[in-house]
Amino acid sequence: MRLHVHLSPDWVLDVEMREYPPSEPVDFCIVGTGAGGGVLAQRLARYGFSVVALEAGPWHDAETGMVSDEAGSAHVYWNDLRITGGTEPLELGANNSGRGVGGSTVHYAAFCPRFHPSDFRVRSLDGVAADWPLAYEDLEPYYEQMEREYPVSGPARWPWGKPHGYPYAPLQAGTAGQMLVAGCVKLGIRVVAGGPVAIPAGAVGGKRPHCIMRGFCLLGCKVGAKSSIHVSHIPDAIDHGAEIRTGCMAHEVVVDADGRARGVRYYRTLANGHIVEEEQRARAVVVAGYAIESPRLLLNSTSSRFPDGLANSSGLVGKYLMAQAGPVVWGRFPGLIRQYKAPPACASTEEFYETDPRNDFVRGYSLQTVAPLPIAMAHLITDEDGCFGEELVARMQDYNHYAAIGVLGEILPDARNYVSIHPTEKDQYGIPVPYVHFNLFENDWRMMRAGIQRARDVLTAAGATETHYVRRYAHLVGTCRMGFTPEDSVVDQWCRTWDVPNLFVCDGSVLPTQGSANPALTISALAARTAAWLRRAVPRGDLRQRPLAAAAGPA
Amino acid sequence: MLRDRYPGYHVLDQRGHWDDATREVVLDRVHNVPHYELFDAGQQATLEALCARVIPQEWRPAAWRVPIGPWIDQLCRAHAPAGFRYEDMPPTRDAWTWGLEGLDQTAQALHGAPFARLEGAQQDAVLEAVRGGSPPGEVWERLPARRWWTQLALRQITGVYYAHPYAWDTIGFGGPAYPRGYFALNFGAREPWEADEAPADPGARR
Repeated sequence: MRLHVHLSPDWVLDVEMREYPPSEPVDFCIVGTGAGGGVLAQRLARYGFSVVALEAGPWHDAETGMVSDEAGSAHVYWNDLRITGGTEPLELGANNSGRGVGGSTVHYAAFCPRFHPSDFRVRSLDGVAADWPLAYEDLEPYYEQMEREYPVSGPARWPWGKPHGYPYAPLQAGTAGQMLVAGCVKLGIRVVAGGPVAIPAGAVGGKRPHCIMRGFCLLGCKVGAKSSIHVSHIPDAIDHGAEIRTGCMAHEVVVDADGRARGVRYYRTLANGHIVEEEQRARAVVVAGYAIESPRLLLNSTSSRFPDGLANSSGLVGKYLMAQAGPVVWGRFPGLIRQYKAPPACASTEEFYETDPRNDFVRGYSLQTVAPLPIAMAHLITDEDGCFGEELVARMQDYNHYAAIGVLGEILPDARNYVSIHPTEKDQYGIPVPYVHFNLFENDWRMMRAGIQRARDVLTAAGATETHYVRRYAHLVGTCRMGFTPEDSVVDQWCRTWDVPNLFVCDGSVLPTQGSANPALTISALAARTAAWLRRAVPRGDLRQRPLAAAAGPA
Repeated sequence: MLRDRYPGYHVLDQRGHWDDATREVVLDRVHNVPHYELFDAGQQATLEALCARVIPQEWRPAAWRVPIGPWIDQLCRAHAPAGFRYEDMPPTRDAWTWGLEGLDQTAQALHGAPFARLEGAQQDAVLEAVRGGSPPGEVWERLPARRWWTQLALRQITGVYYAHPYAWDTIGFGGPAYPRGYFALNFGAREPWEADEAPADPGARR
C-alpha cells in the first residue's frame, strides 16, 4: 500500500509499503512498534526476514496529526481503559503509554542515558532485587549503535556509569535547564547539560531539521528533530520490506497443538470504521507492547494447554511491575525563567545514582530537567495541596518564574506490584482490561524523600525563594522479566520466553531492574542485541529447538 | 486581589505564525464552545458555581473570560476513559454527577442551601471541606472526596481553563511556536513578540 506520512516539514514518507496476506506465515509478527518492537522490526527486515508489525494506533503525521497544543494532543497517548489501584495507584495513559507508530517514543522527553554497569548486578552488589542474565559489556556495543542511529546528543564526556562520550554535540539548554546546572555547580555536584537527549543538536541526514526549541516534545515532535522510532527506524524497516500494519489491536497469541505460537489474532479497524478480526500467521511472534499491554496480551492468551496465560508457567507474567519515582520539584525564582522554551530534557546529574553507604537506602536517583507546560503546571499546583481560587490563579501567574527538576529514582522490583486482568471490565473491543497494582515500599520511600530534598537544595542554591513538590511516576517496566531459569523469569537473555520456543517479549517489560535512567535506549539496545542473536541462531528461521550452547555464545 | 501581569498581551495575535493544524485546534476551542446537553439546570448551576470558585475570572474583562462548565459536560458525554480509572472511582460521567450532588449535600449540611445559592465564602467553606477529604454528605461515603477534588474536579477544570489562549495571556505563556520556534533562551529573555511582565504593584502578593 502507498504510505504518505510527514515525518518532518520536508520529509514525506511517500513509499509503497509491502503487504503480507494474514493467512500466509511471515517469519516474524511483532506486536508493537515502539523502542523495542520498532528497532527489532528494522533489524529483522534488514537481515532478510519477512516482518509484519501490528500497531494498535495510527501514524502520527507531523503536519496534520500533531499540534503545538497540550489539550489537543491526547491522541498520542494510550487512552484505552485500565484500572489502577494499590497504595500508590499509577496514573496511566498520558506520560507513560503511547499509541501509534513509534509507541511511547512519540511523546517521550527523549532523555537517553545508558544504564550503569551496576544495574545489571543489583542482587550481587546490594542483596536485593535481581541480577540480569547479561552484563553491561554485553549491551555496550548495542548502546553505541543506538546512540548513533537514534541519534543522541550529549557531552563529550559523560562521567557516570561507564564513562563515554556522545556522537552528536550537546543540545542548547533553556533558562530552566541552566538553573539545574547553576544549583549543582554551587553545591559542588557534578552535572552536565545538553544531553544525553535524542534530539540531535544539528540536522540529521538532510531529512530531519534541527530542533527549533519549541518545547512541545512531550506532545510529539512536529519538527522531526526528536528521535522517535517512527522517524529513526521505522522508515528503514519499511525500506527493507517490513509491513507496519496500523489500527490493529492484538488480543491473543494463538498456539498450535505443539504448543508453539502460530500467529496473532487482532481487531483491525478499517478505513470505514468497521472492525474485523484477523489472524496473522507467523513462524515466530514477538510481543512488544510495553509493560502493561505485553503481560495483558499474554495473560489473555489462555488455552487448555496454557490456562494461566501464555509463557506463564513461572506465574511471573505481570509480576514485578516497576515505575520510576518521578517526583517533580519546582522552585520560584525572582527573575523570569520561561520554562516552556527549549526541550524539557537537557541537563541532568547522576551523582546520586549508585548505592551510597551513607544513605539509609540502597540504589539511588538522578536529577533531570523537566519543564511543565501550562496545564501540566496547573496540575502540579493543584495536586500539591488541592488549592483553588485566587491562590491557584496567582500561583499560575507565576508560571514564568518557575524552574522544575524531575527526580528519577530507582524503585525496586517487588512481586506485590503487578499487572493482572481485571475480572469484569472490558475495553471498546470487548477485550478484558488490565488491572495495575502499585505500592511503594520502605526503600522506595527513603530514596524518594532523599531525591526530593536534593532537588530542593539544588533549586534553592540556584536562587529559588520557595520550592514545592508532587510525587509522580515515570516509565513502566518489569512485568515479563528476563532471568536465568524458567522458574525465576519469563524470558531468557535473548528475550525468548522459556515456555514457548518461538515466542519473544521485546520491550521494557523484560527489564529485571530499572536503574535511575530513562529506559528507551536500553529497550532499543536489547532489541538490537536480540535481533543480532536471531540472525545467528536462526539462519533458516527455525525456532523449533532452543539453541545449542554454542549458538548462544557471546554477542 | 489579582492583577494583570502581562497587560495587553494576547497570544492569539501570533496565530498567523502557527501551523494550520495547531491554529485550527486552538481557534476551534475559542469559537466553538459546546452547549450543555448532559447536565440539567440544577447540575449546571452547581458546576458553574464550582468553576467560578476554582478559577475566579471577575478580574478579567468580560470578553476575555473562558467558559469551563460546557466543556466538562462534553467531556462526560464523550465517555472517554483517558487511559485509566482509579479502582475506587466510578467512570468520569458518574464521578461528575455524583460529585455535583455531593457538593449540594455538603452545602445543605453546612449552610442549609444548595451550593449554587450560597455566598462565595460559604461555597469556599464547602470546597475546603471536600478538599479536606471528609465532607458531610451521603455521596462522599461512596466517592472518595479528596481524590474527586484533586484528580477530577481540579484536574479537569484547570485542564479546560489553561488550554485556552485567554488563560495563556494571564501567565505570559508564548503558546504554539511551530514553525517559528524560540531563540531567546537565556536569562528568561522574551522573544521580540512576547510581553514583558508588568512590575509588581506596591503591596502586591510578592
